[in-house]
Amino acid sequence: MMRRTIPTLIAVALLGFYLFPIYWMYATSFKTLTEAVQYPPTLWPSEPQFHHAEVFQKFSVARYFVNSIVITLGVTAITVVVGTGTAYALALRRNLFVDLILFTILLLQALPASLMVTPLFVLFNMAGLLNTPRFAVVLAVAAKSLPFFIVICRTAFLQIPRELRDAALVDGNSNVGVFFNIALPLARNSIVVTAVLIAIQTMGEYVYSRSFIAKIELQPLTLGLSNFIGAQQTDWIGIMTFASILVTPILIVFIFLQRRIISGLTAGALK
Amino acid sequence: MNQVELSAVEKHYGEYHALRNIDLSIPEGAFVALIGPSGCGKSTLLRSIAGLEQISSGTISIAGERVNDVPPRRRDVAMVFQSYALYPHMDVERNMTYSLRLRRRSADLIAAAVREAAATLNLSGLLGRYPRELSGGQRQRVAMGRAIVRHPKVFLFDEPLSNLDAELRVKMRGEVRALHERLGATSIYVTHDQIEAMTMADHIVVLKAGRIEQQGPPLALYDRPANRFVAGFIGSPSINFIEGAVTADGGHVTWEGLERPLSLGRRLSAAQRVQIGLRPEHLAVATDGTMAMVVDTIERTGSQTIILGRCGGQPMTVIDHGRPVLARGDNLRLAVAPDHIHLFDPDSGAAV
Repeated sequence: MMRRTIPTLIAVALLGFYLFPIYWMYATSFKTLTEAVQYPPTLWPSEPQFHHAEVFQKFSVARYFVNSIVITLGVTAITVVVGTGTAYALALRRNLFVDLILFTILLLQALPASLMVTPLFVLFNMAGLLNTPRFAVVLAVAAKSLPFFIVICRTAFLQIPRELRDAALVDGNSNVGVFFNIALPLARNSIVVTAVLIAIQTMGEYVYSRSFIAKIELQPLTLGLSNFIGAQQTDWIGIMTFASILVTPILIVFIFLQRRIISGLTAGALK
Repeated sequence: MNQVELSAVEKHYGEYHALRNIDLSIPEGAFVALIGPSGCGKSTLLRSIAGLEQISSGTISIAGERVNDVPPRRRDVAMVFQSYALYPHMDVERNMTYSLRLRRRSADLIAAAVREAAATLNLSGLLGRYPRELSGGQRQRVAMGRAIVRHPKVFLFDEPLSNLDAELRVKMRGEVRALHERLGATSIYVTHDQIEAMTMADHIVVLKAGRIEQQGPPLALYDRPANRFVAGFIGSPSINFIEGAVTADGGHVTWEGLERPLSLGRRLSAAQRVQIGLRPEHLAVATDGTMAMVVDTIERTGSQTIILGRCGGQPMTVIDHGRPVLARGDNLRLAVAPDHIHLFDPDSGAAV
């Protein structure tokens, strides 16, 4: 009895620890300003308020949201299209050259965004890309997320037995056909999962957007959120309401894809 | 006309010389087995015929057409893989029709081909299942089905039975052979199991280190092995090899410890050193035998008795088809017919 209870208690405690900030964000978003800053804090809003519609309109959340979606879709599309092809090519052959490429890819990923942002700003400025700042952010973030995508998807392609490709070639397919008919369907789960993880990460992207996007009309949600923090005062209710609007769609996507994400992580049982 | 023709085929992987000067002619409708130990190049040779490997030099022709630079999909060959290589994301029916769908055959033709193949292979009830829901034997049959729906010019088999358990393997051996008889298509079959090759093939090609050691009908290889390697590879339990020499008169052979030289029934140059090969099944336990043997171990299978011991100081395996009453340490006398004595050059290994 004890042997099962204690691990369960630990698991519940850890889960609570992880989920509490999310709960706090949602709870605060329903509080009045006075209740939000009162000490000791209340765990549950005593007089629940709905600021959400008001905040949504007043702070043009829709516009920020569209910008975030544009950037996220752009990054995910570029990463998936370029990354899947690259990962497949790098999975087909094993030699010193491929190892060198993989090493370089991993090395590039290790550079933090805060380090890359200045040289990229200069580069994009010279190239005139800052006239289309969301596209500049898409390029920068895609470049950053590609290595992760390539490494994960290459592993997925490597798990496909060579004989499956051979069988398809003998059965009458071309190399391109084998990629689309055999390799892609079998690596689909890994590709979807990695793409979702990258999309979620991009929704939270801040550094490049902050530096490249000056026009407020083109800024994504993360920048909108930071606008609440003023020099004199911080609108905690606004922040929490805004944040809960930002997080909710991500959580919904996660819940819907949860089954697939888990099966993607355990995929590979090809035999 | 020869369906598959290989001439002077060479294959290098960097420094590694995988195939050396392979010449092979396979008549239409023949069942050819490629055998040899692992790493001998038999799978590479098969994959080269399929077009999955590029040969370094030489020519490969299928049905009279040079196919060196033809991709696998245009060679009209079907291949059955050791791991079966069924497409995990397709059910049995789509696995079997994949090649026909790629060739955009009509739906009627595809349906008819599947029906026929499924009936032949007892797969009719499994068409909607996925490979993961099938047993090993069923997967193997689907792999066969995928090949036969196509009616290809050549069937290529890459150790298709080696993942099955022993009982099923023997059963499928018969079925593959029966299928070949019925379809009459040219088949090339890679195996490391000499019994499979001996029982199924019309023509056996023995490979070693990328070179053809000998090729011919199964019994010819058994009766007249061209060299020591082939003699040792074909036959089970394997042949006994003894270091010996031809006697001074040139008509007998002997080894140290043997009391009476064995008559050869032919004349050879006197006193040359030879390796003597005696198949266990050709050694007869006989009271008037000329060789004395001391028994070490006796293995009884019911149908035969395998006697392991020493004969003139040399280890020797003998098969007896009776059930002799024997114990460790017993003395036997063995006889062998002169035409069952194989002799090989001790240096080159070639038959003498």
